Amino acid sequence: MAQRMVLNVKLAVDSLNRNKLRSALTMLGVIIGVAAVLTMVALGTGARGSVEQEVTSAGTNLIYVKSGNYTRGGEGVGILSGRGAADTLSVADSEEIAKLLGVRDISPGNSLRTFIGFGEGQSFVRIQGVSDAFARMYAWDFLAGANFSSAASDEVIVGRSIAGDIFGSYVDALGKRVQLRGSSFEIVGVIDDSTDDHNEVLFIPWESLQSTINKQNLDSIIVSTNRAGEAASVAEEIRLMLRQRHGIINEANAEARAGYLANQGGAGGIPDDFTVETQAEEVLTRGLYTPAAAFALANLPKLDQVNLEEMTDTLDKANETMTALLASIAGASLFVGGIGIMNIMLVSITERTKEIGLRMATGAKKTDVSRQFLVEAVTLSSVGGVVGLLVGLMLAQVVTLILGWPATVTFVSVVVALGVAAAVGVIFGYYPAQKAAMLDPIDALRAE
Amino acid sequence: MSRFGEVVGTNEVAVNANVIKLDNVRKTYEMGETSVHALKGVSLSVEEGEFVTVTGASGSGKSTLMHILGCLDTPSEGHYSLGSEDVSRLSREDLAEIRNKKIGFVFQGFNLLPRTSAAENVEVPLLYSRPLEPASVRKQKALSALNLMRLDDRASHHPNQLSGGQQQRVAIARALVNDPELILADEPTGNLDTDTGREVMETLVELRAKRNITIILITHEPEIAAYGTRIVSMKDGLITSDTSNQ
Repeated sequence: MAQRMVLNVKLAVDSLNRNKLRSALTMLGVIIGVAAVLTMVALGTGARGSVEQEVTSAGTNLIYVKSGNYTRGGEGVGILSGRGAADTLSVADSEEIAKLLGVRDISPGNSLRTFIGFGEGQSFVRIQGVSDAFARMYAWDFLAGANFSSAASDEVIVGRSIAGDIFGSYVDALGKRVQLRGSSFEIVGVIDDSTDDHNEVLFIPWESLQSTINKQNLDSIIVSTNRAGEAASVAEEIRLMLRQRHGIINEANAEARAGYLANQGGAGGIPDDFTVETQAEEVLTRGLYTPAAAFALANLPKLDQVNLEEMTDTLDKANETMTALLASIAGASLFVGGIGIMNIMLVSITERTKEIGLRMATGAKKTDVSRQFLVEAVTLSSVGGVVGLLVGLMLAQVVTLILGWPATVTFVSVVVALGVAAAVGVIFGYYPAQKAAMLDPIDALRAE
Repeated sequence: MSRFGEVVGTNEVAVNANVIKLDNVRKTYEMGETSVHALKGVSLSVEEGEFVTVTGASGSGKSTLMHILGCLDTPSEGHYSLGSEDVSRLSREDLAEIRNKKIGFVFQGFNLLPRTSAAENVEVPLLYSRPLEPASVRKQKALSALNLMRLDDRASHHPNQLSGGQQQRVAIARALVNDPELILADEPTGNLDTDTGREVMETLVELRAKRNITIILITHEPEIAAYGTRIVSMKDGLITSDTSNQ
């Protein structure tokens, strides 16, 4: 059986080789169809991937809990504005949050902008107290040195910009000491992380910072969740828990659980004395995303209010529309390609009636004849599929180069493209093959 | 128009030393409202190694006889035994298998596949043998059949690179490749000039002498018919004479 299949493929290839130009032209429809589909799927997947990656790399699994309830637009940790810029978060709050399900890491801390001393000079910098998990939460790249050993140590980490400004280079910064309000800290690491302007921050273990600046409450708690999709739900849990702990349970808030906008006081109840938001919201408001992401998200209303789930939903909807569009383009071009194959197979069978007669006279059964022509049609469409695949891969690369859209070709899309191409051959080759098999050997032999 | 033939025929199938036995074979084509009686009761026995030439004008029924002998068609009435097997009522698919195993065809127009080497042309019947033999065996058989036709040096030539005589010899090699019981030649010299035609006929005569193969050849030319060991003449769907020609 397998041998006979090999034989049929050989016959098909020989036959297609005899009419190279005709075979190539016939394949064109399938080539264009497969190439178009592959390119667009690659770009679609790439665009989606880039949005996801963008959002993920920026830390969509991060949740910011800040003390006070300030109006949006106030940027930078520590500059609180609007209603209730008070130190309302306690270390106990932080400990309770850490116990919540879905929370992976937590980094409580305070932040401020102040002068630090180094050697003879001093410099005005942004200082943030963080836990040792902070490095993991932001996947820090250490240019030199390493993370500090504990939240109470006298070790600090600096961003590359500070290291460069103050010490000339980040290698030189390592091991140097800086002074803050009478305490001395040793620089043990230099990091490179453009997120949240980390390159311009001096990171001090949060407990050490608290004792240095003599503070008991926290300015912020940064939380990471186990999975990106959980950020919004964990944020909601934190919100509810903190309200309870801070005694802000009232009807207005209970009804407004879903939307935090209501917490801003408009509802008439007691407003929250803290703010919880996910990083996805931050990323979107900062406009960090690429053209591809912007395109996919262009129609989102109130960009600053979306959460990750809403964004994923929008992406999925955009993807569905795109898939439907692709499917119709693919369907149309492959249908036309298939008709081309059927047409040329019918022509070929008319031309080769005498050959069919001879094959039948020498013992070919109906199945032999129909298989021969079916395999020929499938070979035609499959070779077209492979060529279309290569063309599609090249096109995707070209579009990436020119437009800067990322293209992702998945194994599945390759398999589907080839499978569909082969199926076109089977579907459109079936009728001609049956027609050939039904020929009467005597009539076929007489044909001219 | 008696129906005796059919009755007699059914009882005589079992033991038969002949390669071919036709028993009162009739063939009727329905053409709309009229019936065309192409064969009106033909009986013929051919023994192994005979070289039978069938002559007759066009419309005499010799082509229909050829189709039935070649298992391309079945008789409307009567019986046809090929070897020890009654093939007159077999299905189309079974007939294909019989043709493959037992019959080699030589046609007037050679019927070689264009742009295909002589060796691959000869190989065609082997592609439909069951079970399928390995490619190397098929190639070997094709080459030895070509060798028999003294065409081994032309094995890789395409038909358009061969003379008419050579093409017909390739076709004969193809007819021989499956070692058939019977070679059926339908006007094999019709497309050839006299000298080449003679050459092909001598090839067939030699083949019969060497291999003791049974040949039935259809022609309308008396000179060609004269090559046979036995000459059968047909007219109006009936055999009019059947003479030995040693």
